[in-house]
Amino acid sequence: MNIISEIKISPESVFLNGTLISSKGITELYREYVGNYPKFFKMDSLCKLGFIAAELLLRDFSIEEKEDCAIVLFNESSSLITDRNYENTIIDPENYFPSPALFVYTLANIVTGEIAIRHKIFGETSFYVTDEYDESYMESIVRNTVLTSSPSMILYGWVDYKTENDYLASFKLMKN
Amino acid sequence: MDNLIDQLKKQIIEVLNLEDMTVSDIDTDAPLFGEGLGLDSIDALELIVLLEREYGIKLTNPAEGKAIFKSVSSIADYVSKNRKK
Repeated sequence: MNIISEIKISPESVFLNGTLISSKGITELYREYVGNYPKFFKMDSLCKLGFIAAELLLRDFSIEEKEDCAIVLFNESSSLITDRNYENTIIDPENYFPSPALFVYTLANIVTGEIAIRHKIFGETSFYVTDEYDESYMESIVRNTVLTSSPSMILYGWVDYKTENDYLASFKLMKN
Repeated sequence: MDNLIDQLKKQIIEVLNLEDMTVSDIDTDAPLFGEGLGLDSIDALELIVLLEREYGIKLTNPAEGKAIFKSVSSIADYVSKNRKK
């Protein structure tokens, strides 16, 4: 399999295949490149980041081409920012109103599901929470995915959201 | 009742993150689920929390939910008759 495209999104810049295409934030990217998927606004920050990164890599492929795509993602913060937001809805006994909409995003791997739903992908999906960004570790997991499930396409990479000023999505798309 | 309907619409837009929608975009009598606003099961749970937090209404019978959450109009009717705050 060969890497056919890659994207890197940070608060400062968006690089698609090495070319700077934008310096906009995540919501502005959604409005510019997607704009017709209201569920985006219900997602947590991690999912929004992963969703828009995947969108920019997968939007030119047909449903048939994407059908057995594998999705393998990694980060170091898991869903911590959403975990904390949810905690804030239950921390005060006098104001105890657990939010179902926040609770459903208190798992990092939900982002793989959001991408799969959007692109009608039925391939293997997995999410790994690691100590740090480690390209060689990610590539070893991806190689293992290729050997065990033989997808025709793999979307893999790092998607980590700490704060609105500190996030990174760095995805690569591999294809036979 | 009109004030309550507008208030409910604003609260629904806020708690369900219906970005790009305004009060005037929501048809008071249109179905909230399936067609209409196309809300889902998680949205339904958020609406239950909304009624408890804002109006002191605790729904104990899940079977009531379908009729109560049929539209903004039906929610307003139920809230006006059962609100504790």
